Amino acid sequence: MALLDVKNVTKQFGGLKALSDVSMTVEAGEIFGLMGANGAGKTTLFSVIAGHVPPTAGEVHFDGRRITGASPSRICRAGLCRTFQIVRPFGGLTVAENVRVAALYGAGGRQDRAAVARAVDDALEAVGLADRREILASGLTLSGQKRLEIARALATGARLVMLDEVMAGLNPTEIAAMLETLADLRNRRGLTFVIVEHVIGALMTLSDRILVLDHGERIAFGTPDEIGRDAKVAEVYFG
Amino acid sequence: MKGLILGLVCVAGAAAVPMLGNPYYTGVIFQLAMWIALAQSWSMLSATTGYLSLGHAVFYGIGAYVCVLLTGSVPFAVTLIAGALAAGIFAAAIGLPVLRVRGPYFVILTYGLSELVRHVVMRIESALGSFGRMIFIVPPIEVLMWCMLGLATLACLGAWAIRHSTFGAGLSAIREDEVAAETVGVPVTRLKLLAFVASAIIPGAVGGLALLRTSYFEPGQAFDPVISFTIVTMALVGGTETVRGPILGAVALTLLSELLWSNLPQLYMVVLGSTLIGFILFVPRGVSGLVDQIAGRR
Repeated sequence: MALLDVKNVTKQFGGLKALSDVSMTVEAGEIFGLMGANGAGKTTLFSVIAGHVPPTAGEVHFDGRRITGASPSRICRAGLCRTFQIVRPFGGLTVAENVRVAALYGAGGRQDRAAVARAVDDALEAVGLADRREILASGLTLSGQKRLEIARALATGARLVMLDEVMAGLNPTEIAAMLETLADLRNRRGLTFVIVEHVIGALMTLSDRILVLDHGERIAFGTPDEIGRDAKVAEVYFG
Repeated sequence: MKGLILGLVCVAGAAAVPMLGNPYYTGVIFQLAMWIALAQSWSMLSATTGYLSLGHAVFYGIGAYVCVLLTGSVPFAVTLIAGALAAGIFAAAIGLPVLRVRGPYFVILTYGLSELVRHVVMRIESALGSFGRMIFIVPPIEVLMWCMLGLATLACLGAWAIRHSTFGAGLSAIREDEVAAETVGVPVTRLKLLAFVASAIIPGAVGGLALLRTSYFEPGQAFDPVISFTIVTMALVGGTETVRGPILGAVALTLLSELLWSNLPQLYMVVLGSTLIGFILFVPRGVSGLVDQIAGRR
């Protein structure tokens, strides 16, 4: 059974159809890529899945349970956590405190102090922020804050992490490091990722399967190779 | 830990003040403890979550009202507990809609609600033909002062416990970014409501005690918005980042007002206002932050 099952989701904002009848399934342990031009509906789809925006129609199931309409915090505690494209650090808290909140309240929840401290250390280690743990989150560079978004999501103990353009604004070296980190997390911890990325190269390298959206509609789906050869995708991206 | 010991020494010292035999000093300690309890309770919601309440007088007033209604029929300790419970229940009842708005809207809404309740109680009282209620038998001032000291201690310990708990970590996340907090699993609505109720309970009991001290209830006085203004000023002057902030602010302003009331009473509000403006502009971290700064530079 699929870990995440999105069934015929439609989202209408007034007269604008941001998503129209989108379905997708994500298997446990895979890295699932979401592609599309600006305004294609990727972030809206994230928001619907994570519970920030209720869909106009359709359902989302996570781990066999229906999560449509549940609050984001409940969905997070069920094991699904997202990051934000426009970073949202707890600016007045230190890097470690940021991650600690996630460890205290996330899917793990109510752990003892030692387990919380370990979850914080692991998450910071995984994204390479261990040496910056005591500085205020507002003092991190953009790249650092993107890493912090991931660290927080990891510390919640979520099994499925949705990353919204975590590589945008990073330089090629940082992107390479991030790719390695994500692949490593999947391999070692068996985490599942859904990633939205503008950096197409990164998406192609990392993803097992890719879904391409255009104007809220699904136009292509398949392995990176298949997507690379797809005529419709080429048309959307290259005209 | 050092702070805790220092605090307990202060409490013990204050509790012994009636032995000086001067009721004026006992009265000053009563006032001090009262404002510490109120400012500290306020900080449980407003300093932790950043939801600045400008209507905490409503909880104080409700406590006083419940207390005056029950006085005579039940022991005075019960009237205080009932006042505290009534304030907490009121907070729980209005919390969900009120906590949906934030920033300046929350400030205005809490102020408006407090005023609304004040006018409702005034109407009820005048409809009942009552123009102020007297209480004839009240406990001696020492007893009231000890009770108030107990409430202040409770408020400080409570505020300290919240800041060092999982609950407190969730509340700071809410202050920093509510959407992000919700996303990493913090049950934002529930936590805000809990903090709101926690910050209302002690002021309810404080209102009851203050009523017994004056032995006179008049709604305009019990729900006086100046109480709310004073609480906010004290907490901001003291500093909202630490538990000792509201204590320092309450002590500083209570002593200041004691001096002013006896010499220049008409200046009190003017000084309160200018102190607040001065601190917000020049000492945003309050007296507490100032202490840190000086200690850090040494």
